[in-house]
Amino acid sequence: MQLKVTQENLSKALSIVSRTASSRGTLPILSNVLIRAGKNSITLSATNLELAITTTLKGRVEKEGSITVPAKLMSDFVSGLPKETIDLYQEGSSLIIQASKYKSTVNGTQPDEFPSLPEVSSEANKDKIDSTEFKHTMQKVVFSASSDEARQVLTGVNVRNIDGSIVVAATDSYRLAEGYIGQSSTDYGLIIPAATIQEVLRVVGGAEDDLFMSFDESQVQFNYDNVQIVSRLIDGNYPDYRQLIPADSDTAFTVKKEDFINIAKVSSLFARESAGSITLHVSEESQEVSIVSIASQVGENTSRAGAKVTGSGDVTLNSRYLLDALGAFDSDEISFRFSGKINPCVISGNNPKDKNYTHIIMPLRS
Amino acid sequence: MEDSVWQSVLGEIELNVSRASYATWFKNTVPLSTGANELVIGVPNIFAKQQLDVKYKDLIQEALKNSGNNDTKIEFKIHSIITKKRARSSKSIDMDSLAGAPAPSSTDSKSPSKTTKLGLNSKYSFKDFIVGSSNDLAYAACQAIAQSPGTKYNPLFIYGGVGLGKTHLIQAVGNGIIANDSSSRVVYISSEQFVNEFLDSIRYKKKGFSDKYRKADVLIIDDMQFIADKEKTQEEFFHTFNTLHQNNKQIIISSDKPPKSIPTLTERLRSRFEMGMIVDVQPPDFETRCAILEVKASNSGATLDRETVEYLATHVQTNIRELEGSLNQLLALCEMRGLQPDIKVASSLLSSARLRPKHITPKQVVERTARHFQIEIEEIVGPKRDKDIVVPRQIAMYLLRSELHLSFPKVARELGRKDHTTAIHSVEKIEKGMSFDQMIRQHVNEIKERLYA
Repeated sequence: MQLKVTQENLSKALSIVSRTASSRGTLPILSNVLIRAGKNSITLSATNLELAITTTLKGRVEKEGSITVPAKLMSDFVSGLPKETIDLYQEGSSLIIQASKYKSTVNGTQPDEFPSLPEVSSEANKDKIDSTEFKHTMQKVVFSASSDEARQVLTGVNVRNIDGSIVVAATDSYRLAEGYIGQSSTDYGLIIPAATIQEVLRVVGGAEDDLFMSFDESQVQFNYDNVQIVSRLIDGNYPDYRQLIPADSDTAFTVKKEDFINIAKVSSLFARESAGSITLHVSEESQEVSIVSIASQVGENTSRAGAKVTGSGDVTLNSRYLLDALGAFDSDEISFRFSGKINPCVISGNNPKDKNYTHIIMPLRS
Repeated sequence: MEDSVWQSVLGEIELNVSRASYATWFKNTVPLSTGANELVIGVPNIFAKQQLDVKYKDLIQEALKNSGNNDTKIEFKIHSIITKKRARSSKSIDMDSLAGAPAPSSTDSKSPSKTTKLGLNSKYSFKDFIVGSSNDLAYAACQAIAQSPGTKYNPLFIYGGVGLGKTHLIQAVGNGIIANDSSSRVVYISSEQFVNEFLDSIRYKKKGFSDKYRKADVLIIDDMQFIADKEKTQEEFFHTFNTLHQNNKQIIISSDKPPKSIPTLTERLRSRFEMGMIVDVQPPDFETRCAILEVKASNSGATLDRETVEYLATHVQTNIRELEGSLNQLLALCEMRGLQPDIKVASSLLSSARLRPKHITPKQVVERTARHFQIEIEEIVGPKRDKDIVVPRQIAMYLLRSELHLSFPKVARELGRKDHTTAIHSVEKIEKGMSFDQMIRQHVNEIKERLYA
């Protein structure tokens, strides 16, 4: 194998794939990146056996071939090189990386041990998705997924087709976020690992390219620009969360997002002992929402913000969940509604960008 | 063909590939179906499927040939280990069901195992449990579990001082579950028994120890705190816990302290205990004590007048076991002497028994409190105002006031303060803290328990 590439191209491609190569697994080769030089293309691949990521980069192939080298070392080294043309060539089982004033030899391994990477071959279930909308919505949704491996299903993002819209949702059973990423006639019913979505989000952005999503029964594939990500799907039934979203509520208020975030932040300082527990008092009389938090060792806090209120009530929440949720909105005005102390709280915004975004938080038992 | 074919193929492959490769690609495979000339192998994910299909197919064919299955076609299918979930009725959706905790699937729960209720005592039932504000949450949680074990609060961790009804509650859950479904296997055991059986299984190489617990539908462990300093047993219990929780079997644990306060509990057990529901049972309040006395009295066929009940309830405050003890004493005495149980007999009985609050001196209270927080008496009565001394000092003041009914100036003097307003403030502070701060409540209760022990 022998090729010439620019430092920028190679460094960018390596940064895309090297995060996926992990050194934690049982198989040492998984911490390597596979470099393949075909007739007219150079591809880099890495996998952690949950997902595989492949990117093609521009360059001149002088001799075809392939090799795997430790991803992290390679990536760190190349990013430190000056912006010029780099020569890569193979000597035995080593890869020589050479720039004008730098030369290193990296011990590699033969590519036959590298796992063969799956691909979604069927064209049947393929959709073109607006990458801006995808990025925008997924960022607001994916953080609500659970990280508890004991509940596999909740560690993923649910993608469903509801009346022609692609609806995405994530929940860790204490909070839930739902958004919308476009129209389609494809019959979705997928649970994509949240880690995969995070990886796609890292790749998508900037350029306004389209994102292609295709799937079969056990895997999903994303194509964006020159990057391809294939991931396993999570098997199982996603809970029918929609029934949780209450149609109407006893108490509702609209408040400036900035004010709401401020009083929630201040109160959270006094909620550290009580695992973030803060209580919202909503008063119709004074058209105000106040947040109370008590730390027995430190003191207590009450902060208020003016709001448009219908129906008074109290509810206790985890401040972290509230702040996470508020941070996700683009709107400058937030609508918050709830019924009593144990029913879900529903948060929505007034900005068109938040039109199809709903966030739900379960109250804490106070 | 049988499953053994795949086993022999695996055996051969293990010799031919590296350990890491074998562990990664072959370890989690299972033969799904075997036809005349066909073998379908279940693999955990697409990556394994792809790898076996592309890279290892020749090797597998070779191994098949060696074991005498020349023309066998092999196919790989993704086989999920997740068990099927029960279809839920639309109404039962709440955040807990949203958490996807599936009920035991119909295939595995109704195994022909006969009714077992290891260690349960049928005299404990919900019916006899007196609910008051001190234990209503625990009671509600237990009832919910008895209705649908494994789905709602798993694990349930109940803690509280001695003689407050933990054992009664958790046994009632076990009995309740059996009453609802007589085929469920309920195992009740004290943690000490668990330790002993575990040691036996090691010493005498007895088999079946882990099976006994891992096959239970409901595992109830009493007095968990005794497992805390036994590392190996904790490890064994950790695996048992995981197996059960994975299969959505209900686990109920009782202890005298919350998981956080059991010092030698390993972190992974602690975090697991905390992932379900943690409830405490508090000493009963006056009304609850009265109700308990009345029920217990009528259970033993006696009637007590209101005055006597209230007298007993006022004078025995610490725990239910003692309350019951003094009632039994009273009833026995009356039966023996042919008397009608009334306040006169009760008062003579209780004054002859040790009436504890009178034996406690202010000095003891201060000393106990200091010892509980591991600080010196000189420090607690001294001038320092560090946080870790101020809180114990305030608790001591609160106890002097609430247990010994000292005047505020006297309370202040006992702790080396000049001003009685300090005492008033401290007592109020702890009183307030007791209502919402679990740590303070627990400290106070523990000190009280030791004072009267």
